[in-house]
Formats: sequence, C-alpha cells, structure tokens
Amino acid sequence: MIRFEHVTYTYPEAASPALNDLSLELPEGQLILVVGPSGAGKSTLLRCLNGLVPHFSGGMLRGAVRVGELDPVRATPRVLSRRVGFVFQDPEAQFVTEIVEDEIAFALENAAMAPQEMRVRVEETLDLLDLAPLRDRPIKTLSGGERQRVAIAAALALRPSILALDEPTSQLDPKSAEDVLNSLVRLNHDLGLTIILVEHRLERVLPYVDSILYLPDHGEPALFDDVRSIMGRVELAPPLVRLGKALGWRPLPLTIKEGLRFSRPWLAERNGTFLPRTQTGQAPAHRGAPFIRARGIRVRFGQQEALRGVDFDLWPGEIVVLMGRNGAGKTTLLRSLVGLVRPQAGVIHVAGQNIAGQDVAAICRKVGYLPQDPNTLLFAESVQEELKITLRNHQMKVEEERITALLQRLNLSHKADAYPRDLSVGERQRVALAAISVTEPGALLLDEPTRGLDYAAKHELERMLRKWRNEGMAILVVTHDVELAAAIADRVILMSQGEMIAQGSPASVLATSPLFAPQIARLFPETGWLTVEDVLGANGRCQD
Amino acid sequence: MDISVKGALVQNGMQAASYPPRSIHSMAWMAWIAAIVVIATLTRNPFYLGLMIAIAAFVRWRWTTQLALPQVALLSPLRFSLLVVASAALFNMAMVHTGSNVLFVLPSWIPLLGGAWTLEALVYGALNGVALVSLFLGFSVLNHATSVRSLLRLIPRAFYPAAVVTSIAVSFIPTTLQQIEQIREAQAVRGHRLRGVRSWLPLTIPLLEGGVERALQLAEAMTARGFASGAPVQKRWSQWLVLAGFVGVVVGWLLQIIWRQQEIGIALLVLGTLLVLAGLWRAGRRHPHTVYRAERWQLHDWLVVLGAGVAVVAYLLPWFERETLFYYPYPTLTWPLFDWRIGLATLGLLAPALS
Repeated sequence: MIRFEHVTYTYPEAASPALNDLSLELPEGQLILVVGPSGAGKSTLLRCLNGLVPHFSGGMLRGAVRVGELDPVRATPRVLSRRVGFVFQDPEAQFVTEIVEDEIAFALENAAMAPQEMRVRVEETLDLLDLAPLRDRPIKTLSGGERQRVAIAAALALRPSILALDEPTSQLDPKSAEDVLNSLVRLNHDLGLTIILVEHRLERVLPYVDSILYLPDHGEPALFDDVRSIMGRVELAPPLVRLGKALGWRPLPLTIKEGLRFSRPWLAERNGTFLPRTQTGQAPAHRGAPFIRARGIRVRFGQQEALRGVDFDLWPGEIVVLMGRNGAGKTTLLRSLVGLVRPQAGVIHVAGQNIAGQDVAAICRKVGYLPQDPNTLLFAESVQEELKITLRNHQMKVEEERITALLQRLNLSHKADAYPRDLSVGERQRVALAAISVTEPGALLLDEPTRGLDYAAKHELERMLRKWRNEGMAILVVTHDVELAAAIADRVILMSQGEMIAQGSPASVLATSPLFAPQIARLFPETGWLTVEDVLGANGRCQD
Repeated sequence: MDISVKGALVQNGMQAASYPPRSIHSMAWMAWIAAIVVIATLTRNPFYLGLMIAIAAFVRWRWTTQLALPQVALLSPLRFSLLVVASAALFNMAMVHTGSNVLFVLPSWIPLLGGAWTLEALVYGALNGVALVSLFLGFSVLNHATSVRSLLRLIPRAFYPAAVVTSIAVSFIPTTLQQIEQIREAQAVRGHRLRGVRSWLPLTIPLLEGGVERALQLAEAMTARGFASGAPVQKRWSQWLVLAGFVGVVVGWLLQIIWRQQEIGIALLVLGTLLVLAGLWRAGRRHPHTVYRAERWQLHDWLVVLGAGVAVVAYLLPWFERETLFYYPYPTLTWPLFDWRIGLATLGLLAPALS
C-alpha cells in the first residue's frame, strides 16, 4: 500500500510547488499508469516513492508519504532501495558498469550480499527478463529495448515489491516497446509486483495496465480508478478511446479486440460506402523539381552498411514520414542530407545544387535540421537571442519583425525573454525549431520530434507542421510515433537494414503493417482511415 | 557452481566467443606487468629487450585474437613503436655528444645541438626507446586482458566509494567526447563555423550543462540502487592508524638508508606497514560490500606469477653474468653480450600466453 497524505513539495528555488496538497492511495499488486499533462508532477511523484525526493533533490516536503510501513522521508533512499526499484527515462544515463551481469550485481554488491546468494540472485534476475543469452555482453552493444530490459533487471535485483518506471518506452521503436511492456506484464502477473509507470504514449500502454492515476495540471485533486472509468472522465486519450467516446460506445473499448466489436457493426450500418480520408488532404501532385534529390546514397561505418543505395526525393509542400526499427538507417539518411555524414557513393542535390562541396552551415541555411536532442542546440541567454544568433551565423540581416512573427507563430511570444533551458520540454523543442527555421529554409528535417511531448504539445506541433507544409515547405519527419505519422504524413517511407522497403500514401503503407498500423486502421481495415478525424468526417458527411 | 556457469557459457557459444575469458587473475597480471617494468628499467641490452618485446607481442596477439577484438587504433602499434624509437634516438644524439664513431659535427656555437653526433649516442637513445616500447606493449596487454572493474577490485575496501566514482569518471571521458561532437554538429546546423577561440564559447554552455545533468542523473540512479557514498563517518581512529603507519614507514626507511640503523629501521618499517593495513581494514568495515563472482586463483595463475618471478629474480640477483644487463655503448660501440640463462629466464613471461 502506498499512501500520500496532503503532500506538498517544492523544488529548491522553485516559485510554485511541483506537488500541491496531493492525497492518494495506491493498492498493491497492480500495474498502474500515471498520466497527466507535462509539469503535473508525475516524475516528482515517482521520486517520492523511494525518497529521492527530498533526499536527493532537496527542497521542501510537507505532509506524509508511506510506502508499506516505511516513511521514505525518514528512511534513506538506501533503505528504500530494497523496497522500490527505479528505472529512469534515459537508459544511457543510469548504467554504472560495462557488462550486463555486473550491472545487475551492482546493487547486490552494495548491499553486501553473500557471494553464493548473489550468484543465485543474479541468475534469477537474468531469467526474469530473458537476459540470460546477453549476460556477458557489453551494455553499449545492446539495442535500445535490450538496454531498457537490463535497466529493469538491475532495478529488480534487490527484489523490491514496487517497480517505478519513468517513461520507459519513449525512446523505443514499437516492437522494442512492446517487448518491454510484455516483460512488465509478466513481472506483474508472475510475481505480483506493483508496477507504477509514467508514460505519454497511451496508445502503447493502455491495453497492459490495470488502473490509472491521473495528475491534473494545478490544484485539482488527483484521480485514481480503473482504466475505463478514468478514460471516460479525462481529455487525454488515445485514438481508440477518443473515437469510442465520440461515437458513444459503451462500455468504452480499451483494446483493439474490444473496439472491433463496435466498429464492425458500425461500419456495416453504413453499407460499406466510405468516404476517403479528408483531414490532411491528399498529397499534392509533385510538380516541378524536388527540393531535395538523392540518388544511390551509400554510407558505411566500418564493417556495417548503414545505407545501401537509397534514392530519395522531397518535394515542396509535402510531409514525408520516415519509419523503421531502431538502427534501420533513418537518422543516417537525415544526417547525410545536411552533410553531417558524407556518403561513400551517391549524389545529393538541395535546391538544385550538389551539396558535396558545401559545408554543413551552408547547407543548413536552406535545410533546417532538428536533431534528436534539442538541448544541444540551445545556449543563448534568451529565446529571442537564440534566433538572432542563427541569423548572425548565416550573415543574414536581423529583422525584429521576422523574429516576432516567428515567435508568435510558434506560440512563444510570451517567452521571448525567458532563459531557454528553463522552459518545458515542449517549449524548448519549439525554441529549437524556431532557431533552425528562422532562416526560412525550403525544407525541414526533424528527428524524433515528439519524444517526451504530451498530447497537447504534440497537437501543437502537428498543427504547425501542416501550416508550414501548406505554405510550400518540404518536410521530412523521422519518428517511431505511429499516431503522429497517421496524423500528418502525405507520404510514408519504411526503411529496413539501410534500404527503403516501402513507400506511398500513409493508408497504403501503414494500414496493413502489423507493427506500424495506427489504432484506427486496425479498427477499420480496408477503409483507408487512419485518424479519428477521418472516421468522424466520413460519419458526418454520411448523415448529410 | 562452476559447472553450471561453464555450461551456460557453452550453451551460448556465440556470446562466449566475445566474452573476455577472465581466466587469469588480476593479481597475476599485476605480477606479470611488474616483472616487465622491472626488467625494462634494469636492462639496456638489446637482446634481452628484444626478447621481452617479442614475448609481450606474442602474449598480446594471443589475447587479442582470443577476444576477437576489433583492431581500431589511431596509430598502428608498429608505427607508434618506430616513432618512439626514432625520436628517442634523435633526442639522445642531440643531447649527448660523446662516443668515438662520429657521424657528423654541428658547429659548436649552436646551443645544445652543437658538437659531434655519434653512432654510440644513436644506439643508446634507440635502446631507451625500445625499453619504452616494451613498457607500452606490456600495458597494452593488460588493457586488453583485464577490465577497469576487475583492477578496481584490487583496491582496498576502504577506498571502494572513491574507486567506483573514479571508474565512472573515467567512463565519462568517451561520453563527453561524444557530447562535444553532438554539440558541435548541432551548432553547425545553426550555421556556426568554428574559427577562433571565441567561436568555441557557444559549445561550452550546452556541454557543461549537459555534463552536470548526466552526472546528476547517474548519481540519482546509483542512490536509487542503494549506493551510499556518504556513509556515516564513525570514529576517526582508522585515519589516525593509517597516518601513524605512514610516518612509521617513512622514518624507518630514512633510518635505514641515511643513518644506517638497520634493525630499528626494519622494525619501524614492519610496524608502520602493519598499522597502515590495520587502519585500512578498520576503514573498510565502514563500507560493507561484497564482490560478485570474485576472481578465483587457479593453477595457471601460479604459473604466471612463477614465470614472472623467475624472470625478475634472474635479472635482480647477482648470480649469472649480471654485467650483460648493463650494456653501455660509450665510448666505443661494442657488440652486446648475451647470457643464455638470463634469456631462458625471460621466457617465464610467456606464461600468460600458455593458459
């Protein structure tokens, strides 16, 4: 049993509390999902469980926290480490050793467990997460999903009865995410482990969880109940649930299987005459020359072939989404288009010019590139200054109107003088986007832009990209986020092992893919619908 | 217990191939490297040095092929060695102007360089280079064959928290380099071109903030897993013991070599060492900590130590033709001598390649 009684916590030097008079009770043995908008205190709540708040973070905590019979504030994190296992957002940043086995043993060594017992314990932990075949591997040679499983195993070595995870799948492709979630379900079922999970991508995790803790933005009380009743009450919801609510399906479907029970008869009532998707419109006919044209691109890193003869075109006025497993060569393609990777063979033209002789800075005046971690871009004293620096770097004129207009467009006007690194994840990302697009490039290349964004920030991004697209910008997005692809793509490309294996309209590429199909496509196969808006739009016009 | 682990290794044959065999105890490796350091400092005889380099190279080859490690190096070991030998020879020739085989003479008004450049100086300088190369080779074997972590386990338990933190700091260097590259790219993307020192300024802020952020994340992760860096400090007894021990050792040593007080000196040395050990043991109890899969001392570890011991003893004790060690080409270059017994003893260093 986990209990919070009127907990108010303020980080050191923060103006307002991260948790405000929070009271809740979480039962044992459940898989609990914590959701809420950015800044609602989800990560802080997790850190209260094992005493990292306030022991590690400092700050002021009022009220009482109880984990079983323990008080995390009075007991130290060292004591709590036997009760609560913790997995952090970034798997890279939490590994202490180099080898899988040593990583699992680390916590046991610190607990001074007898070597004999430790051997057994490591063995058991490896089995729990199917890591036995990887036991001797250096961690840096593992894939993202494998690393995350090692992190979970390391957290479980001390046999805690509670496991807390902070966005464990945000950096994984759909398949690896599914593997990790399946492992969690098994731990919950087989060991009765209480699992508390923070995650933004609800469409991924909802089918696996028992109940939801909803943390609203400010002041309002937290809600805790089973999945169906919470989903019925809050705005945040994956496409399936949104559709179910819009069409009044009861009980609210949570899995595709449940959804199909409603969607099949619903579709049959409409005699199988469906309207094509309307919402993003069809990709405009490719007219004129492509803005980016790549032919026969080959990139090799040592022994490994990252790209094997890729042909690629990007026209003005389209959004292309590039998908594929981790390590399929998506990021490498993006990087070679702006000259950060120089291909061993092939030619790339940007705006009609071969980029082979140009330096990265020159190319990036015409092509805006947003790397995976926007933090690496930001260094100035204020948001405005970031934009001005880019302009000065390119020896362009610093026009105040241009900057004000762009900030307004990205909904950042009120933050123009703020220190960029103090902003929220979504805001920081928009600042980075502003910093690369202030040169008014002809194309935008975005690498995983929705990582760590909540639904509101994601919709904001979608809206902006569509607007830019309509003004004639060529946009290429690399993402694992299936629902983002469904919402914005005019064209989808699937990559595998350094090759493009499929491309075409989102309906033709995504709808049939077992891994990349969005929820709506799974509900209504053969209709070509991908988003809630597609379905509702068709419905609306059927009634006309 | 042992059988089950071996069985698991065989089952996962694929992984076993890339798994460091860990078959030689880190302590045994320490004995081996100590022997190489002693011999490389003692002798300048090209035969002995050459023999030792051949042995170290063979051991290195055995271990690297066994581990199937990718051979990625900025400079190939051979080119690096030639560079070291050549520069040592050049340096010695420029600095030492004695010897009877004069190659050429530079005018004497040039400071340092002026004077006769001799074949003797060249040979002796090159030999110094060769000794350096043998050290370099020895340590590169150690680098391949043992991990930082297993070496850390040799550190007394009292220093355990410091040792873990150090090992993490070491592993931060590659991540930081990676981070620098990432930030440099991100700035290039914004049209930033690196010209003067001032243009590096934008890189430092994200780098420092990123570094602090990562360090904090790791510290948090370690805390969550029960790593207590700030263990409660109990009595300062152990620190006083260690300090007293060190004083004892230093005074004893001084007594011995300066005032020739053999008995008192040795007694103080022994007493001091005991005090240091006792202090460390006491301090170690404050950090309860066990080792997963402690390395086991096996028969071939004895062989490695024995081999290293035989080699060192042959070089240290005044038994054989010991003067062959101190080859000295000045004033006139002579052919170095070779004693087959010392050569034979050097082969003891081959032991790690045999296991």
